[in-house]
Amino acid sequence: MTKVLKNISGDKTIWAIIALLALFSFLPVYSASTNLVGVVGKGTTLGYLLKHAMLLVLGFVIIYATHKIPYRYFSGLSVLLIPVVLVLLAYTLYQGKTISGVNASRWINIPFVGIGFQTSTLASVVVMMFTARYLAKNREKKIYFKDSFLQLWIPVGMVLALILPANFSTTAIIFVMVLLVAYLGGYPAKFIGAILGFGILVFAIFILSAKAFPETFKNSRINTWVARIENFSNPDEEANYQAEKAKLAIASGEIQGKGPGKSVQKNFLPQSSSDFIYAIIVEEFGLVGGFMLMILYLLLLFRIVIVATKTDTIFGTLLVLGVGIPIVFQALINMGVAVGLFPVTGQPLPLISTGGTSIWMTCFALGVVLSVSADREAKIEIDKKKNDDNPLSVLHETIG
Amino acid sequence: MLAGAMFLFAFGITYKIIEIQFVEGDFYKKKAESLTIKDGVVKANRGNIYSSDGSLLATSVSRFDIRMDPVTVSDENFEKNIKGLSKSLSQMLGKSAGYWESYIRKGRKTKNRYLFITRNLGYNDYLKIKSFPMFNLGTYRGGIITEQRTVREHPIGKIAERAVGYDDYRGKVGIEGNFYEYLRGRNGKRLKQKIAKGQWKPLNDNNEVEPVDGKDIISTIDLNIQDIAHHALLEQLEKFEADHGTVVVMETKTGEIKGISNLGRNKKGNYYERLNYAVGESHEPGSTFKLMSMMVALEDKVIDTSTVVDTGNGAYKIYNRTVRDSHRGGYGKISMGRVFEVSSNVGLVKVIEKAYGNNPQKFIDGLHKMGVGYKLNLPIKGEGKPRLPNPNDKENWYGTSLAWMTHGYGVHLTPLQTLAIYNAVANNGEMVKPRFIKEIRDQDRVVESFDKVVLNPRIASQETIDKMKALMRNVVKKGTATNIYNKNYELAGKTGTCQTEYWTDNTQYIASFAGYFPADNPEYSCIVIIHKPNKKIGYYGNVVAAPVFKKIAHKIYTKKPVIDEVKQYEKSPELLVENFESYNVKVNKKYETMPNLKNMNGMDAVALLENLGLTVVFKGTGKVKQQSVKAGEKFDRTKIVELTLS
Repeated sequence: MTKVLKNISGDKTIWAIIALLALFSFLPVYSASTNLVGVVGKGTTLGYLLKHAMLLVLGFVIIYATHKIPYRYFSGLSVLLIPVVLVLLAYTLYQGKTISGVNASRWINIPFVGIGFQTSTLASVVVMMFTARYLAKNREKKIYFKDSFLQLWIPVGMVLALILPANFSTTAIIFVMVLLVAYLGGYPAKFIGAILGFGILVFAIFILSAKAFPETFKNSRINTWVARIENFSNPDEEANYQAEKAKLAIASGEIQGKGPGKSVQKNFLPQSSSDFIYAIIVEEFGLVGGFMLMILYLLLLFRIVIVATKTDTIFGTLLVLGVGIPIVFQALINMGVAVGLFPVTGQPLPLISTGGTSIWMTCFALGVVLSVSADREAKIEIDKKKNDDNPLSVLHETIG
Repeated sequence: MLAGAMFLFAFGITYKIIEIQFVEGDFYKKKAESLTIKDGVVKANRGNIYSSDGSLLATSVSRFDIRMDPVTVSDENFEKNIKGLSKSLSQMLGKSAGYWESYIRKGRKTKNRYLFITRNLGYNDYLKIKSFPMFNLGTYRGGIITEQRTVREHPIGKIAERAVGYDDYRGKVGIEGNFYEYLRGRNGKRLKQKIAKGQWKPLNDNNEVEPVDGKDIISTIDLNIQDIAHHALLEQLEKFEADHGTVVVMETKTGEIKGISNLGRNKKGNYYERLNYAVGESHEPGSTFKLMSMMVALEDKVIDTSTVVDTGNGAYKIYNRTVRDSHRGGYGKISMGRVFEVSSNVGLVKVIEKAYGNNPQKFIDGLHKMGVGYKLNLPIKGEGKPRLPNPNDKENWYGTSLAWMTHGYGVHLTPLQTLAIYNAVANNGEMVKPRFIKEIRDQDRVVESFDKVVLNPRIASQETIDKMKALMRNVVKKGTATNIYNKNYELAGKTGTCQTEYWTDNTQYIASFAGYFPADNPEYSCIVIIHKPNKKIGYYGNVVAAPVFKKIAHKIYTKKPVIDEVKQYEKSPELLVENFESYNVKVNKKYETMPNLKNMNGMDAVALLENLGLTVVFKGTGKVKQQSVKAGEKFDRTKIVELTLS
């Protein structure tokens, strides 16, 4: 154990935040598991606790392993992974799993392990890496729209198109993140505008065709989206059950909260252990607890930005921002949904919510961030020894 | 810039939380409470009702209704267990296993999520059905739905059903209904929090208001006597195909109702505890009222039992109506005592008319003074109203009113009101109130106990009481009820055969008998009233009602553990006793010198001397004739004492 701790490298604050979040996550997860046990009627609370512990331990293994990989390898890895992701996404969609009549094919079952794997989370990380790689590679060149369309937007678009039918919010987040990274990576702003317009157009066509040919898209989630957005714009609608229950939870939490495990609404909020866990946290730990948790995520964001700025390669910077910011973004979206700032979407709270792939992919992403950070630390060590005057260009050539 | 946007975002979230908590907070908090917290009722346990001998008459038990949601069961569990479940259900509830299988399958197919299985299971059966295949998986996976109810059970069944009564949607009846304040207790309150659809958990460790369990009632009813009364009445009702009847057995000294049975006939001809006739039915008593008439006359000293009256040929015209005796041809000249014993209407009417004809109010006053014509104010609701005719009420008072009243017409009394007077006679003039409740208990602690309530400490002089007692004894011995006479166990009472519905073409009868037993030392008084027996089978009070009285009296007598003193008829021989006593005296004396043994039994003398340490030889048998050492001499233990017996 001490050996492992000794070998830990990278930003220590990020490590601490991860540890804090992971430790804290046991409280709301254990509390909210009574919903699954008592209401849905499967499993035991201890079972869910152990499962969560197991997921987190594996998550730490993933972080540890990932941050030991020199980050330049992720560049090539992303290219290899894009086709894999496409196949997995296609397979996921093809399964056509439905939850009460609507398409909810977001998961595939990992054989033998029996854990659902949400392919879009993997896709998200891979797409971000891929984007960072493309931008870093073309940093010095003049970017032509046609080239970038073929080399960047076609693969990214294919991935997004495969996620969209089952999960609009993830698609949108990835899309926005890709555009953000592209902007930061020096991609011309007018092209970004064009791509954004194109994306909205594609989405509009998708919705319209679904409305025009309802039979073909019978099981798509369009109606759910429409209903959710309608409910969001008309808060009086009684149908907005989840948002209402979340508000009840937040209101009854008051400043100090009811205390760990004493949430009442956890039994009535569907997805109280994942999508709406923030509402439960506020109910149990109050405004104070909810605020502290948010501070932790913001601190994480802060450290990620620091790692990104301190990194001496463009790829490193873009990679850290590309995989790191979505984590915090996702956290803020989750909180925003719980407090009613956004329409209801199925975004988990990173590192807190239950669900294997969500935790693991977050861990993978954090591992990548730490890998970059660790590389920087190693560089400083080497610099001290070699006093190499232009490490940036040297590294850049190696990435090639 | 990016970080700025994110922080702005975070600020928005914090703002929103604060808004929800403080601006809309009260609204949502109230809503959360109203949705998830409710007042739960913690039901107080209702008290039990016991008989005076400690048997349970009424208690609350849990009953379980079983339903099923066959839809919630997974295909795998359903197919695996349906055969086993059907078989078990068939064994427990009857019908074939095939029936149950197709029934449940059909329920599953039609998505009936509240499929009826059975109702009214006891606790043991409930445990059993819960362990059946499929059902043992529980509510969610096995589909079993149980609904618990608390129902009131009468362990003794239909006996005294009406007197024990009920307190539910049907109303308040009997002990259950009229003493509900003791029995009910007070429900507690406990806040409950919703934890899932249809599931609530207590919010706090303690109840907000603790329930107070109801108290137990120890009734005066004696299960043994009740049982005897019920069956004796039932048997007679069936035998005479009567419409309804009632029996009340009351303890003479205390007024405790030991048995009360009210049986009415339903359309099928079966008898059941229909209405509380004993309490509620006010009717013309007929000849049992002669007791009251005689007593008024005796008290006013207008007659004596020896007063002779001419009953003539058994018919006596008064105004436009004729009083008749049931005995054709009349009894001729008889004493008033005899008039009562044979229940001569003519005799009584003649005497009373003569004495009170000019002043009927005096007669009515006499009755009132005794305590007749008042409600007993029973704790059980629905007591029938007694009615005596009023001479001042000119519209309803006729010239014949007094005459008919003497033998129980135009007067209305409930069986209990009549019994109270008979009991007063048995109780040497002290009229006590009939009582149904002995004690109120909380667990083993007596909360309240009830003593006898004296309604009239003396209804008549002891002289009158004694006379009436003798007459009632004679009714059984040589009067109208000789059919129930038994010389080993004498009963006392008065028969009544009263016409009813005489205003229609189809005159019916009310046969009654009221009295007490044992005749010489009354312990219980009892009234039997049987309405509308089948005239073809019999209708006289002595034939229809008196046998019930007799049966009850005899059964109580034989079942009661009495200590009989068995006299020793073989006298122990006086001589033997005398001898033993003189010997005893002698033995117990301390001797310094030789006692005089003369005329003492030989064996006793030997024993006496040997006990003194002397050596004795003797000759012959019988009593001592001579002793070798003379009386008064000092003991010499070396010498042998010789006795000569004759």
